[in-house]
Amino acid sequence: MLRVQDLVTAYGKIEALKGVSLEVAQGSITCLLGPNGAGKTTLMMTLAGILKPRSGSIRFSEDEITGLPPHAIVARGIALVPENRLVFPSMTVLENLQAGAYQRRSGFDDDIERMFTRFPRLKEREAQLAGTLSGGEQQMLAVARALMSRPKLLLMDEPSLGLAPLVVEEIFSIIAELHRDGATIFLVEQNAHMALRVAQRFYLMEQGRVTFSGDPGSLAEDEVIRRAYLGSSR
Amino acid sequence: MAPVVDFLQNCLDGLSAGAAYALLAVGFTLIFGVLRRANLSYGPAIMLGAYAATWLFLQTGAGLLVLFAVAVLATVLAGTYVERLCFAPHRKGAAAAAMVASFAIWMQLEELATLLLPRHLYAFPALYEGGPLTFGPFFVRVESLLILLAAVAVCVAGWKVLYATRFGIAVRAVIDDPRAAELSGIDVGAVSLRIFAVASAIGGATGFLIVASHEQVTPMLGMWSTLKGMLAMMLGGLGSLPGAIAGGLALGLIEAHSQWYFGPQFRDFIAYLLLFVLLAARPPWMNTRSAY
Repeated sequence: MLRVQDLVTAYGKIEALKGVSLEVAQGSITCLLGPNGAGKTTLMMTLAGILKPRSGSIRFSEDEITGLPPHAIVARGIALVPENRLVFPSMTVLENLQAGAYQRRSGFDDDIERMFTRFPRLKEREAQLAGTLSGGEQQMLAVARALMSRPKLLLMDEPSLGLAPLVVEEIFSIIAELHRDGATIFLVEQNAHMALRVAQRFYLMEQGRVTFSGDPGSLAEDEVIRRAYLGSSR
Repeated sequence: MAPVVDFLQNCLDGLSAGAAYALLAVGFTLIFGVLRRANLSYGPAIMLGAYAATWLFLQTGAGLLVLFAVAVLATVLAGTYVERLCFAPHRKGAAAAAMVASFAIWMQLEELATLLLPRHLYAFPALYEGGPLTFGPFFVRVESLLILLAAVAVCVAGWKVLYATRFGIAVRAVIDDPRAAELSGIDVGAVSLRIFAVASAIGGATGFLIVASHEQVTPMLGMWSTLKGMLAMMLGGLGSLPGAIAGGLALGLIEAHSQWYFGPQFRDFIAYLLLFVLLAARPPWMNTRSAY
């Protein structure tokens, strides 16, 4: 569904992505692991159109989407739940969801109801300003807001970041639930143990390159987890 | 009894002048809120709009409604030009670059206006021919009431748009977090351009009301609008629409009272002194991150 080839993204002279190639299959949860500074967030930002790649290609359902602006990427059916959630703090929970459906113009009230059914905590806080929510609630709101654009592919950047273990469990059960409902998810995660429990396929990224890929449960899993946390010893 | 009458009359005069400042501050605030950049060319664009209307009046003797439309249209054109040239290219870059660019365009717009109409002063048709309304010992100009009415109307309409429309949601999302707005599928560049056009239309209408109530146009209108608008916006706490209105009215009141009690030479001095104190003391309503 998503095919990334030889993607290079740079900040000035420093290449954060040095030729990344990977694939995300339709209906799967694919997970990107790697230590801090490996370029995971840079990859997500490039896929979402916030950063322009220097070279390489991103194809989505056979269409070339490299270099499109973020709103055009959303229109194609890719939505990113960004790192640190980035909800709209001075807007209500309901308005955050409406903002997520911005491109749909109308007919999204049913979807808002659906979100409230899936995330009952958001329903309770419907009229509350998003900035006053707890970290876990903000993460749920960020996920719900991204879903409001009815994405074919959901990108998630470190959804467990800074959340208490119980809340992390809750977020991952939501991810598993979305997957059961047919969503395709590409997930960046530091929490390798959690991620490998839900993913069907994973990639390991180190220093701007994909250094390993495989299926969870394979023999190399322990080594991958070690490298995801610590980086390779090379 | 006389000091009380003077004080109240000063308040009326202050609110009258303040209504125009409030409108200017609303325009500045819309632009500042969405772009987080100060647009120094806002006043000069307004001046150019007033000049276009004056030019048309001299050529054809057109009526007030036509002049109003021309002032608004010309200001929107000038404002859009400023946005494309100064702000669209620097949306993610340095704020200083955009501000300096807008200063350069200020010079350009002023030159353009003086090429169009080279004399320093031109007469503009009066908004209202009759004298001021009197209530006992007090008097108010009808023009001032019209400007006050316009300020209230703009605020109410702005509130409705921001809180009850799809476009308003997009604008507030961009103000809250431009990155998150982009990721939600909002075209931030298009929203910025539209807000610039709306702010310019408000500016053009304000400029028209000001010159038609002063019954004259000078090139100083540009600098005057930028200074008064920014001062009022800062007094109101930067980035809030009700704050902009309050800041504008407060500035008018401060000026009217200082002029009466300390003399005209202290009018601006006291306004700027107060801004300095506010910026130094930073009371809680200042510099809040723009919740409209």
